[in-house]
Amino acid sequence: MTSWIEFGRGPLFRLCFALMVLGLLRILILTSLGIVEAYQRNPDKIVPWKEIRNKTLAWLLPIGRLWKQRPIYSLFSFLFHASMIVTPLFLASHILLWKNAVGFGWPSLPQELANWLTLLVIVTALGLFFGRVLDPRSRPVSRFQDYLWPLLIATPFVTGYIASNAVIGPRTYQQMMLVHIYAADLIMLMVPFTKIAHCVLMPLSQLVTAVAWKFPAQAGDRVIETLGFADRPTWMPKPRLAAEPAAAVPAKKEGAK
Amino acid sequence: MFLPGIAAASLESSSTSRTEKRRERIEGASLEGVSVRPLSTEEKSKAFALPKKSEVVQRQRLPVRYHVEDFDVEDRPRRFLEAFAAILKHTNYRLALDHYIRVSAKCARCTVACQVYDATGDPHDIPCYRSELLLSVYRRHFTLSGMLRARILGDPGLTDEKIQEMADSFYNCTACRRCHFECPMGIDHALITHLGRYILSEIGVAPRALVVSTREQLIGATGNTSGIPLPALLDTLEFLTEDIQDQKGIHVPFPVDQEGAEYLFVPAVSDFMMEAETLKGIAAVFKATGDSWTIGSKYFDGINYGLFYSDHVLEHVLRKIRAEAERLKVKKVLIGECGHASRSAKFFYPTYCGGKDALPVVSILEYTHQALKEGRIKLDPKIVTERVTYHDPCNMARPGWIVNQPREVLRAFCADYVEMVPNGRMNICCGGGGGTVSIDEIRPYRTAVGGRLKAEQIRDTKANYCVAPCSNCKKQLRELMEDQGVECEIGGLHDLIYKAIILPKDTPSGDEKQEESAEGSVSLAAGSEDPGNEGGES
Repeated sequence: MTSWIEFGRGPLFRLCFALMVLGLLRILILTSLGIVEAYQRNPDKIVPWKEIRNKTLAWLLPIGRLWKQRPIYSLFSFLFHASMIVTPLFLASHILLWKNAVGFGWPSLPQELANWLTLLVIVTALGLFFGRVLDPRSRPVSRFQDYLWPLLIATPFVTGYIASNAVIGPRTYQQMMLVHIYAADLIMLMVPFTKIAHCVLMPLSQLVTAVAWKFPAQAGDRVIETLGFADRPTWMPKPRLAAEPAAAVPAKKEGAK
Repeated sequence: MFLPGIAAASLESSSTSRTEKRRERIEGASLEGVSVRPLSTEEKSKAFALPKKSEVVQRQRLPVRYHVEDFDVEDRPRRFLEAFAAILKHTNYRLALDHYIRVSAKCARCTVACQVYDATGDPHDIPCYRSELLLSVYRRHFTLSGMLRARILGDPGLTDEKIQEMADSFYNCTACRRCHFECPMGIDHALITHLGRYILSEIGVAPRALVVSTREQLIGATGNTSGIPLPALLDTLEFLTEDIQDQKGIHVPFPVDQEGAEYLFVPAVSDFMMEAETLKGIAAVFKATGDSWTIGSKYFDGINYGLFYSDHVLEHVLRKIRAEAERLKVKKVLIGECGHASRSAKFFYPTYCGGKDALPVVSILEYTHQALKEGRIKLDPKIVTERVTYHDPCNMARPGWIVNQPREVLRAFCADYVEMVPNGRMNICCGGGGGTVSIDEIRPYRTAVGGRLKAEQIRDTKANYCVAPCSNCKKQLRELMEDQGVECEIGGLHDLIYKAIILPKDTPSGDEKQEESAEGSVSLAAGSEDPGNEGGES
């Protein structure tokens, strides 16, 4: 089991970490290029920069506005995000691992506080999970990954908490560490391919929306040209397909019959 | 000259706007301020009843509440995907779709902002659910992961049923864009709805009411959505001038085809038939300020249903406005009291009509506010005594463009002005947004579901008069007041201004500039010649 743990926090960790970073970089670059392309494509260069900045900042630090609607859910969500980011990054033992491998470290949280924050992550993650399951507003829009994520994220926190705090035998400790490490690797691996991509894309959202509302000139003409109806746009007196059945359509009908 | 008691209304703009902003922050973002009776089963069945004959539904294979023109129903999914692909190729939507499928966290926070969901409680009306209808098609057919996933899981892809669900769902949305403010991920569900309607229109699924109006506007003989012939328009203008002469004793012209004027005035064309008071108010404001303005005889319709269902239409209608502006060599385009016309011109005119060189677009509300601020018009604060409230048209208020201007004008002369809660950028839609107000057959839906919250909101203010500077909002709100039994008169901002405005007298000693514009070949003299010319040509 020791070798599995070593593998999980050695080569596998490096691989997953690299994939996460590269994957996130990829979508970040793709989105940024997309924004530039869309901006260049349309002739209207008036972009409400100030408003985009304000909206983006307001949602990055939603302390002022979050509580007005669904306050309990918002509180859980906010605490979950905050503690979930802070705890693993500033945990003394994680920093020590990093320091041994790379050579530099950074100040850590006091262990007592880290413990409380870990509990907070677990409680809020469960709260979000059950909130999603029980709330009739969330259930209809939820996908499998939406249920999975709070539980998956809670896993390394639960196991990490048990491993570092509970009085357990060395075997159980190793089991806990195994789950802790592999769950964390799995999370990192999945980040760029799932909704967690919002960790890097969210700051671009308002800009994307603003640019996407700018339509390139003559796009409509080109669309119907591509569709082969340049001479019969939708506003012609008779619907274009009823008036001019394309050669392919009746042929297909006969074939079907 | 005037009575000393009449304090010619002025503005304390900076302080008002600051408190206003603060009020907006505090009061915004809440549906909870308004108490709404839940929708009864009877109301629900009425609102969602199919007005179409069963054989039509069968023939068109489209069980939606609005009428659709007959169109090829074969192979709908394939044609939908072709149209989708063509649109993705030539537009910027791919950027948004890619982004939205990556970040969408399905937190359902948008439910707190949606008035339709608030009224029905139906999960299909959750904005995120509605967007997912289209996003799932995009994911399945236009992304690598979706295609791989479909191979593995054997997903059949887009089906007829799904298209029908979209056709139904996208026209339940009033496109008020309120949910955008509540989405932590910054997703704009109205953009998705807009795109969805555009793709559907390319395969022939678009409300007949909108399509027929657009057709008349773009290729019809009259060139406007209401089908008003030019002579009728000129008659109306003449009548309005006489009316003002009778009521105010002053000659107030409606200039037609005045080349080189500063403003080309394009109102929603239905105003010429339905909103005479608004137009009189606007003419009176111009009389007072003395600025030159003109109505174009070749094109005078600001309505642009393209904003609701097709980018292609949006562009072609704006091009018509541009052609008229260039013909008359005006300096600015002035849009009348109309929300969607203002937004489609303000935010899309630069896109389609010359980028940086495009003429500036001004709303009449901005213009009047500016004139009042500069002291160029005088309003009598003793005339309007009833309780007045203001309804923000979504298309103007949501981008934060026109929020405080009309309020400052109203506060300047209405003694009893009250606010709805919430208001401003977070206002609640009248329930007829997104073009649905033009679709008469879905009136039961609009007044029972779409405008449910708005009716309560207006009832709560106990106002006698609700200012709604938007033709669509006015029509919807009047129907809403009638169907929901609320006692409140609906009108435009300039209706009230017309009542209260103090016009300069037409005396020889008066301002010469105004005299010129009143008597010159500007107005009806020029206008009345036009029908003859038109007749000669045709």
